[in-house]
Amino acid sequence: MAKIKVATAWLDCCSGCHMSFLDLDEALIDLANVIEITASPITDIKEFSPVDIGIIEGAISTTHDEEIAKKLRENCKILMVWGDCACFGGICAMRNLFSKEDVLRRHYIETESTKNGRIPSSEDIPPLLEQVKPVNHVVKVDCYVPGCPPRAKAIHYALTELLEGRIPILPSEMMRFD
Amino acid sequence: MSEITLIINGRKVKGREGDTVLEICKANGIDVPTLCHLEGLSNVGACRMCVVEIEGERRPVPACTYPARDGIVVRTHTERLERYRRQILELLFTERNHFCMFCEQSGDCELQKLAYRYQMDNVRYPYTYPSLPVDSLSDYIVVDHNRCVLCGRCVRACSEIAASYTLTFTRRGWKTIISADLGQSVGESSCNSCGVCVQVCPTGAIFSKLSLYKGKTDECEKIKTVCPACGVGCEINVLVKDNNLVRIESPSLTEPRGALCRMGRFGLLEPTPPRITSPLVRNEQGELQECSLDKAVRVIAERLRETGDDFAGIISTRVPNETLSLFHKFFGEVVGSEWIDTLDGESYRIIIEGIKRFQNNKGMGLNIECPIEEILNADCIVIAGADPERTHPIIGTLVRRAVSQRGAKLVVLHPSRNVFPLWTDLWLKPKAGSEGVLFNGLARILIDKGLVGQEIPEELAQSLSQHDVGEVSSATGIVKEKLELAAEIYGRAERGIIIYGEGLLKRDDPNLITSVLYLADLTGNWVGDKLRVISLKPGANSRGAWERGLAVKGIKLDKPKGLYLLLADEPDDEELLSWLNGIDFLVVQASYHSRTTSMADVVLPSPVWAEREGKYTAMDGRILELKKVLQPKVPQDREILIEISKKLGRRLTEGGVSNGKD
Repeated sequence: MAKIKVATAWLDCCSGCHMSFLDLDEALIDLANVIEITASPITDIKEFSPVDIGIIEGAISTTHDEEIAKKLRENCKILMVWGDCACFGGICAMRNLFSKEDVLRRHYIETESTKNGRIPSSEDIPPLLEQVKPVNHVVKVDCYVPGCPPRAKAIHYALTELLEGRIPILPSEMMRFD
Repeated sequence: MSEITLIINGRKVKGREGDTVLEICKANGIDVPTLCHLEGLSNVGACRMCVVEIEGERRPVPACTYPARDGIVVRTHTERLERYRRQILELLFTERNHFCMFCEQSGDCELQKLAYRYQMDNVRYPYTYPSLPVDSLSDYIVVDHNRCVLCGRCVRACSEIAASYTLTFTRRGWKTIISADLGQSVGESSCNSCGVCVQVCPTGAIFSKLSLYKGKTDECEKIKTVCPACGVGCEINVLVKDNNLVRIESPSLTEPRGALCRMGRFGLLEPTPPRITSPLVRNEQGELQECSLDKAVRVIAERLRETGDDFAGIISTRVPNETLSLFHKFFGEVVGSEWIDTLDGESYRIIIEGIKRFQNNKGMGLNIECPIEEILNADCIVIAGADPERTHPIIGTLVRRAVSQRGAKLVVLHPSRNVFPLWTDLWLKPKAGSEGVLFNGLARILIDKGLVGQEIPEELAQSLSQHDVGEVSSATGIVKEKLELAAEIYGRAERGIIIYGEGLLKRDDPNLITSVLYLADLTGNWVGDKLRVISLKPGANSRGAWERGLAVKGIKLDKPKGLYLLLADEPDDEELLSWLNGIDFLVVQASYHSRTTSMADVVLPSPVWAEREGKYTAMDGRILELKKVLQPKVPQDREILIEISKKLGRRLTEGGVSNGKD
């Protein structure tokens, strides 16, 4: 049987959810028998090709994040998101309590250790959106694994359910927001 | 109330008329989710989590406010209701900052638990991200408005339980926020830091600085004990993790003493001076030096043998009854001296002598005073020379509850300060030292106006007839009209209670206490065989010590050669410090290094409140159990007394004393 193709992406995040995925330890070996990871920060393949399952970690913070989310959505049959940032905005959304300008000024100019700071601008740097958003506020999401990061057990549960053809909803006892 | 039958989820259940649907669900094990509801507070239906369907109602109604009626048909968990609940949660999460990973309360949050229960793995609505302040000016309490769900538990608790009325809602609609005194910081408001808001807040919106990051409820052991901060005798739950104090809570908000005060909820968690962990003995250079317990005990035993009955003992009333009894035996039967007292013994001698001089005392001693719960039943409260808000804050809370929630009148007698400025009906300001004249004057007015509940003994009537109201007025500096008004208020009350404290006690005149008792007696303020009078005793276990005869004589008239001071975890007292000067040989058994211990010849360690166990007698006579909350770092006070006795060849046990070693 052909392997299930999976692509993953990380957006505005700490990569903790992918680390949690790697925490599956020996269960990864069994998974590797049935899935093939195509584009992913883990494989370092950047260009998406059509896959069965797309996975996003992180919130939508920049125009680049928006673009990646849309591209992956177009290329996958089922989109799963990992972690509180992707599900709700999470820690990235802290900046929504302030204006974009205030955040940039504080970060690049006013920090106590900064001398002659300036806000970087280049066409290689994607501009920040006015507000950080959870992924489902930008593209349609099929299933969610919250947690900061999600426990390996929760990721494993969600993947296993998907592989068996069910759209997973984490049971209450597996739900964590921290 | 009559019994009613209703059908909930197809099941016939019984309840009583007047019960809410939620109460009946709870009583029948039907788990309806709630957020703004809390046992002990009124119900307001703010959060809508408990919505239920009732046949005949056009839309779902909150179970917490819906009065059950006979025959109604209720459904609590239909698909539609569960969908609504999840929707309510999503709306709550979008309204403010409810990201758990940087919230101290994560793991102890009721909003989070509900979101888990409803498997809320995403939010469909746009977030609002309002920019709200965090108020951290209070010494103990932080209010983070960004985490608030406006359930209003804190507002209700502040009014209904604490009777402080500091917290309220301000602004309107989705801009509503909780506020202290209409826009002050909690730290600068009328808040008295009782902390009930911290206990009832379901989220991370109100939390205590002293418990931050110390542990989650699930990780803690919860031990029910009694608060050692004053004599009211409030039960407390102490949460402990890894032998550290995490948090102090009230075990039951529905009890009259279920409110706690800043001293119990926060004061006990505050940083303390350095502990004394080992005995210290003054060496040849005159410095205190660490030594073994055996050596310290030997030095003390030698001096006791030499000095004998010229040795006195003073003990703190923060120690439990068992230690008090043993200390008494130790002095009487091992040291051979009756020269003992408690740190607060003078108050006792004045109170007990005052009661003795009251003719109708029935030999009851302190038992003549009523339980403090009587404050809530009172329709008039007289505060005479006391400041309960400062010394016994829960008495203050009960007074404010009686006045604000039950319409009791409040009269304050205080020479310089109105101790309940917001609640007083009448403040009498007697000239210093004129309290006795004032009491007798009031009695005279009561008799003149026929406001006495019984026949007056001839002798008393005669002595009171000497008090002319005009003279009383000029002696006390209080105008006649006010005197008459005070007598009217107290005399016309059916359940008038008098609370007195340090202001009267420090006048050193037992007759003042006798006068107070006569006032209560004249107006027939007996409840059973007790008078509606309460004295505010200084220590947590003053009554226990006094009833054990530790404060009968007092010791300060003369100076002993040697003194054994069991200070426990009391702070320095200036008066005591100056009296200690000139004592030849001073033993101080204490928990903390202090100026008192630095004067000692021998310092012995003593456990802190959380390391002791035994019984306390609350100021109204209730016996309460003090539990060991932390593993002690030092031996119990009792063990050291037993060791000293051994060195003197005596066997001291709780049962008695015998000769010889074990």
